Amino acid sequence: MEAVLNNLTGAAELLAVARTDAVSRWDARALHRAFQWTRYCQRVHSRFRDKRAIRAAMERRLRAANDGLRAAAYFPGHADVTFADLSRCERALLAALLGNPALPRAALGSLLLVAGSSPDVGTGENGDGDAAGHCAQLIACKSACEVLRAARARTAAFPGGDAEVQGVMLMETLDALLGGGRGGGGEEEGRRGGWGEEGRRGGGGEGRRRGGGDEEEIGVGVGGGGGGGGGGGGEHAAQELLESMLQKSEEEDNVILVIASALRRKSSATAGSASRGFLLNWLLQNDQMLQKMCSRLPAEDMMSQVKDNADFRAAYCDVLRRWASDMTFDIQGGEWRPAGTTAGVSFKTLTRHFRALFETCPLLREDVETELKARKMADGDFDVEGLSVWGDLLAALAK
Amino acid sequence: MSLPGPEPQEVPLVDAQEVQFWMEKAVGAAAGSPEVQRDTCLHLGQLRVFLQRLLTHINNMSCTTEAMRRLPFLGQLLGRLCWMPHVTADAVCRRLLLQSMWRLYSEEPSSPVEKKANQWIRSVLRQLAAGDEEDAVTQILVEHATVPPKQYHLKVLQELVCLLSEEVGRSCSSLSKPSHRCSCDTMLAISETCLPLVTCPEAAPLIGAMLQRTATCVRATLSQHFLDAVSAAYLRNGLSLESEAVMSLWCHSLPSLEEAVMSLLDRIFTDTCPTLNTIEQQLAQSVLPKACAHHCSLFLIVNDIFRSLLQQVEGHQSLLSVVHSFTRCFLREVAQLQPQMRAPMKAFFPSTPQQLLQPLLVLPTEMPQEAWKDHLTWIVQSLQRLTEEEEEEESDEDTGTRGQRGVFEAWLLLVQCAHWVEVAVQLAVSPGPQEDREPPLWLLTFFHHPTNRGHHRTLQLARVREAWSQSRSLLLDPSPLATSGPLQSLAELLSLQAQPHPLSPRLVLGLLLNLAVLSEEPIGRAAAVVQTVVQRCRLVAEALCVLSSVELRLQDRSSSHANRGQLRTSALRDALTHTDVETC
Repeated sequence: MEAVLNNLTGAAELLAVARTDAVSRWDARALHRAFQWTRYCQRVHSRFRDKRAIRAAMERRLRAANDGLRAAAYFPGHADVTFADLSRCERALLAALLGNPALPRAALGSLLLVAGSSPDVGTGENGDGDAAGHCAQLIACKSACEVLRAARARTAAFPGGDAEVQGVMLMETLDALLGGGRGGGGEEEGRRGGWGEEGRRGGGGEGRRRGGGDEEEIGVGVGGGGGGGGGGGGEHAAQELLESMLQKSEEEDNVILVIASALRRKSSATAGSASRGFLLNWLLQNDQMLQKMCSRLPAEDMMSQVKDNADFRAAYCDVLRRWASDMTFDIQGGEWRPAGTTAGVSFKTLTRHFRALFETCPLLREDVETELKARKMADGDFDVEGLSVWGDLLAALAK
Repeated sequence: MSLPGPEPQEVPLVDAQEVQFWMEKAVGAAAGSPEVQRDTCLHLGQLRVFLQRLLTHINNMSCTTEAMRRLPFLGQLLGRLCWMPHVTADAVCRRLLLQSMWRLYSEEPSSPVEKKANQWIRSVLRQLAAGDEEDAVTQILVEHATVPPKQYHLKVLQELVCLLSEEVGRSCSSLSKPSHRCSCDTMLAISETCLPLVTCPEAAPLIGAMLQRTATCVRATLSQHFLDAVSAAYLRNGLSLESEAVMSLWCHSLPSLEEAVMSLLDRIFTDTCPTLNTIEQQLAQSVLPKACAHHCSLFLIVNDIFRSLLQQVEGHQSLLSVVHSFTRCFLREVAQLQPQMRAPMKAFFPSTPQQLLQPLLVLPTEMPQEAWKDHLTWIVQSLQRLTEEEEEEESDEDTGTRGQRGVFEAWLLLVQCAHWVEVAVQLAVSPGPQEDREPPLWLLTFFHHPTNRGHHRTLQLARVREAWSQSRSLLLDPSPLATSGPLQSLAELLSLQAQPHPLSPRLVLGLLLNLAVLSEEPIGRAAAVVQTVVQRCRLVAEALCVLSSVELRLQDRSSSHANRGQLRTSALRDALTHTDVETC
């Protein structure tokens, strides 16, 4: 473990050096090694992210390294490297190099994979960690995404791509947090301990072994994790993750799209269904989000959730009911409109939601129609458009 | 500092109008106009040429300061082009852009212009590759799931390809409801905007889906530019497509099918005397036989190409082998199709004399060996009737051409079904009465000399008989080769200059080599005979080709008979390659 911690100091130093004149002496080999180093850091981050004791030790080591670098006259304006920064170390290195006036021409050529820049250029294939063509590959990939988004904008409401990938990432993260997804390390054991005495004892033991008997580390692992070692730690962390996504995102719609795409993913693993259940529960508790999701997404996209989950189905029906009761008839326009107290939808969209619901759950149709009829009766049972939203819904659905 | 005298270099290096054209495109693209994006894609070829010219100019400059002075628009133009994703997505344009920027990056910037240029280049690249465009949600998830940026963008790309492929692949109901408006209308525009991605490996599934979509809907026209680009990329191995997609490509672009056939032939004929094995391998790698089995229209076109090539280059043995191998592969593919998917064979061979179609298409392996002789005799009799009709009709001008065409089509079918020619050689060299040998020898003569110009068939047939008997006596005759009479006669028959209408060397070699393989004589004598004849007539390459077809035929069978044959062919091959070394 000490070796890994020392490597982290090295990583902080590497990113600092990448901003100095020393880069002028970097050749293709040095560049290649630097990128390998960043990949190593990304792996370290992925491996120890959820292991609080180790992570805390790493954070301490990084703080010490930052202090040292800030104190050294050689690194003016040093930007601190945090544990979270390790997750995008490659990008930080690339940005540092391209921001550095001392970047030599050969090194730039290697990043761009241009002909004549270095002897190994032109072989085409290169590994993930290879510096050769790193910059060119990123540009190629991002441009291709842009081209496809532009093409997709012609056929679809959401050009998408990001939301879908982020949906997968969200599911993977939730799987890991809620247990089962990643291989069991000491900390995960500790977290699962919240569901039973036995587990807690087992987890404590594992944590102690991993921490190598260091009292302080165990202390952080159990107490300092914001309830990490306590009851339902995984769920708590998952809750925090979703809340922070909501808080930090400027566009709530983005979060809705990510969650919707996460729910669309078919997962047969137990971890997958736990994450799914968690997400649906979170939505059920978060009325505002649920309504927004129902209004933003095409009705067809909601149906797999409606089909598979009875609670969600009930909540969804409730949302539709509320949307309908919130409608007023616009006499001038001759149509029902949402009054604005809820995140309502147009009458046409509402009808589509009901229709999709009937198609997905044919057994539900009779119940819902009986309810609509009862409400129409309560409204006076007139067969005139504009008097009862329930009557008009029934008429629209009968078409 | 100005130099005395005129400076001839100072004429503008680049057409100002072209610079202006791309500057305006860049402005339009920055505004996100779909029309400009489309137009950019349609002009990518032009841009590649332009950028290559610019790069050449930059390479000829002594330093960046000079480049900036001579091409003052350079920085602005390159900078703008870098921000056009439809330009940077194109592999060639991207390479040229990055190469130009790199050439302009000074190792030791000596002037403020060069320092500024260096800084500008780094900043453009940094924004392009590591620009901080991530929103908060992405950042949180990237940190939690530890997906490095490169992988993240790659995943997004794959996801977009997947989403678009799904949309494109969704079947459309326009065939049943002609009035129904489907999204296929947008296919033309989508295919044009995807032009830069034709060589992007991650986009290959989408390209494939687009190609196949066209098969289901009349409205889903793909841009001709797109089809041309896909076809070129596929031929240059810059794009790997599923065979279904390749078939769709050919169905929609006749030129691309023609190019595929011609480039396949080019590949095969890089070898002056390709063996049947290499031909079959090349054919199997191309999707052509499969495509022809699935789509009768494709088969007819490929067949037309073969037909006209055979008419142009009469007696091109390798071409004959290609046509035969192609038909073998094609028939195998047809056999693999579901019966309901198979078009009737008549549809594939509409101009062939129908009485010959089934008898020739049937494979020798599909009937007992004892039946070969009668089957072959029947085929020969039918062919003889056709040629006699042709000769009778030749005097009559109206029916004459029809008769000739009938014979040519029958010969083409024989070329395609040359397995019966192989059977003929085998029957010709098998022991038996002379009259049994007549039909196979006639078939071999017709196969190698179909046109019968100047009515020499009878004469040629007589020479073939002679070639057979001389070969046989040569193998049996124990006298020393140097003074052998049959050797002299055989060499004369093989000599192309000796007669006005020489026999095809392949025909004579075929008889000699097959006799040598099948004969009971010791292999030493047979090898010496073959070696001497082939060496004297300088026909080593041809003999090796004939031998490889004998080998291939023996491989298809497994018996003690075939094993013996294989041993003898390899001994003959050794003798021939030995000859080769000596004569060289």
